[in-house]
Amino acid sequence: MSNQTPKTAQILAKSSSRVGILLSLTLLGLLLMMWIALSFSTTTFMTANNMTNLARQGAMTAIIAIGETFVIITAGIDLSIGAVVGFTSVIIAWLLTHDFSIASSVFLTLMVGVTIGMFHGFGIVKLRLPPFIMTLATMTALRGLGLLMTNGATISITNDTFTNVSRANFLGIPMLFWAVILVAVPSYIFLAHTRWGRYLFALGSNREAARLSGVNIDRMIYVAYTLSAVLSSFVGILLAMRIGIGNATQGQSWELDAIASSVIGGTSLFGAVGSIQGPLLGSFLLTTIKNGANLLNVNPFWQLIITGVLIIVIVYFDGLRRKRS
Amino acid sequence: MPTTHDFASVLPWQAEWVGDGAAQQKVAPLLLLKNLDKRFGATHALKSVTLDFTQGETHAIVGENGAGKSTLIKLLTGVFPRSSGEIFWQGKPVSLDSPQAAFDLGINAVHQEVVLCGHLSVAANLFLGDENTKFGLLQKRAMTKAAQKVLDDIGFSLPASAVLSDLTIGQQQLVATARAANRGTKFLIFDEPTAYLTRQETKQFFSLIRRLRAAGITIVYISHRLEEVFELADRVSILRDGNLISTDKISETNETKLIKGMINRTIEQLYYKEQIPAKDEILRAENLSGQGFNNVSLSVREGEVVGLYGLIGAGRSEFVQSLFGRFPRTDGQIYWNGKPVNIRREKDAINLGIALVPESRRDQGLCLNLSVGTNINLPIYERLSKSVFISPKLEHNAADVQISDMQIKTASRNALASSLSGGNQQKIVVGKWLNHGAKLFIFDEPTVGVDVGTKVEIYKLFANLLREGAGIILISSYLPEVYDLSDALHVFRAGKLVASHIGAKPPYETILSEAIGV
Repeated sequence: MSNQTPKTAQILAKSSSRVGILLSLTLLGLLLMMWIALSFSTTTFMTANNMTNLARQGAMTAIIAIGETFVIITAGIDLSIGAVVGFTSVIIAWLLTHDFSIASSVFLTLMVGVTIGMFHGFGIVKLRLPPFIMTLATMTALRGLGLLMTNGATISITNDTFTNVSRANFLGIPMLFWAVILVAVPSYIFLAHTRWGRYLFALGSNREAARLSGVNIDRMIYVAYTLSAVLSSFVGILLAMRIGIGNATQGQSWELDAIASSVIGGTSLFGAVGSIQGPLLGSFLLTTIKNGANLLNVNPFWQLIITGVLIIVIVYFDGLRRKRS
Repeated sequence: MPTTHDFASVLPWQAEWVGDGAAQQKVAPLLLLKNLDKRFGATHALKSVTLDFTQGETHAIVGENGAGKSTLIKLLTGVFPRSSGEIFWQGKPVSLDSPQAAFDLGINAVHQEVVLCGHLSVAANLFLGDENTKFGLLQKRAMTKAAQKVLDDIGFSLPASAVLSDLTIGQQQLVATARAANRGTKFLIFDEPTAYLTRQETKQFFSLIRRLRAAGITIVYISHRLEEVFELADRVSILRDGNLISTDKISETNETKLIKGMINRTIEQLYYKEQIPAKDEILRAENLSGQGFNNVSLSVREGEVVGLYGLIGAGRSEFVQSLFGRFPRTDGQIYWNGKPVNIRREKDAINLGIALVPESRRDQGLCLNLSVGTNINLPIYERLSKSVFISPKLEHNAADVQISDMQIKTASRNALASSLSGGNQQKIVVGKWLNHGAKLFIFDEPTVGVDVGTKVEIYKLFANLLREGAGIILISSYLPEVYDLSDALHVFRAGKLVASHIGAKPPYETILSEAIGV
């Protein structure tokens, strides 16, 4: 008896902290319900073709949502994600059309992501700009820079080895979905099992307490924004791979999809609450709505409305649950 | 005395209905509570309290944290509805079911922390929600003039156009009080109003309260500082565990009686202190200068409490911030165990073994929405990790050791820090430095807003730390506390160390005049 009580309390306390297992299960249930409903109401949903399509569509949102989650956990925001995706699609396309090897092109593009993230960190830490302003500024500036570099034109990628990867499967699963796993597993380990992950939460919860405890909060800000920008540039590469072009206007308003996925997955915009499975589930939920609406021939304008309503409903009920516990 | 309803007549003693309320004794009490009861689910917060407040009296309410004082205030100001019982206002039953209902009767409250708009001017704050308008346009000049009259009357030498956040906390508290007393208020509740005020500001504040009382306003005064109760109150009521223990005229009670009533056990000594011999020197500052302080020399030894006293802005906080690496020194030298050291950032101080327990545990000390365990381990994650990975076993053990050593009452190490009581939260803020092995603890106002029982626990914690060979620097704006607890007492004024008393201390008055500079 005396053994049991603290154990129950422990489980309860654990589920109320960070992102509840309950929310994850609810989202998973919702996702499965949608899949079942769609497979009964359409003949085209539960087909191998559509499922791989869904996995490919959801993959890119999932990866940027994970990046955004790192930033939101620190109580910050990254508005530049869509612009970074578009900009880096131009970079990789330019590199590939200028006879760089695939490996060095990918590496250099990711380094561009690192640079952008470090620049965000610099603006927030050294210039003391609010994250909203700093990333808003690069959001417009990077679009401009990308358009300037290409004169507003599109760069077509002729390297078939590169573009074929996006259509390839490995063990029956699309390569793009493997990319999600490649990102999600290390991200989970980083966030939940390393001290830097712990410091991100501490920074988001109480910056001053973290500082007084000896946490190098400036460094953690650099880390969060660099992770976000690197993952965005990775998605820029994946996008270029998938559509075979580099174009600075790609990825329009993707940052909003990333924020929505993260928030649906239980990340708190006030910081210190978030997980990796949350944005994963959130992004595939959003993608399923879009995919399903297409198959059901729903007016695409409704997709936007449904997504908006869903964000309000899920976040409202999650807030209620948190308050009660 | 002005007799018009001129807009300038905003304070009660300027208005025509001024009467010598203190002398009046009406038949029916202004406010009467009969068997007032409040339950929150299973918690019985207030148990059948019967209490009266007469017109024009100052009625103090004392009790430990959780005794039911806040619940009582919230019932009186209409924030919560009562569970049962009756409330009579001037003999007539009233419902008090919303803040507006309380406000309409003339019940108002001033809280511990100033709840005003820092970006607006003093005048704008004084008239917020009750602006003087003509054809929907603000009459700024008239309001500033009226506000200036109020300020002059309080004895403020400040322009009413000053921005509120430029004022000291004490001045802001005076503005908050003037605002609360502003519009037909007959019943004014103060909840720990002096918690953040210096001695001088408290004095100014008290004279304002006395004037309000003289104007016939009934005052309910809640404070942990008993000598304030004796200075201000006509009557005093004690609450304990939701029960009303007693209501006495102030002349018929004393501090010992009050403390006994509050905690139902006598504390022999209010400022618990053990005689612990001082040993080797831990830290010495020689001619240290930095932002906000100049040429300060002092030392801390093992087993010693070094008190720093001074008014707010005297440079004490700036000095310790510099020891902790927040603002690096510009001149002088710090010695740690006799060796010169260079503290440039917080991390340097922490690595040496300096711990800063900040003034506000909620704002600076704790990550409230993280677990108790994470909070305890935050300074030592490097030690709990193998390369970059946290070892769950080491992490859990380190947290559990402190939870049991410090007797932190928590469901588990995974419970959120926000779910703990104030005293237990304070234990986390201290406990996280014990695993780290800190040698010098800097406590900045450790007992602000803390009840008598928890205070004694904090003082016992000091004794434990000292016995283990640590040294303590104690900053307090509360002279009796820092006076009784310190082995060496240093007085700051205007960024300078003006007096150092090691061993024998001169009387209060001397120290006070050193701090004020008279």
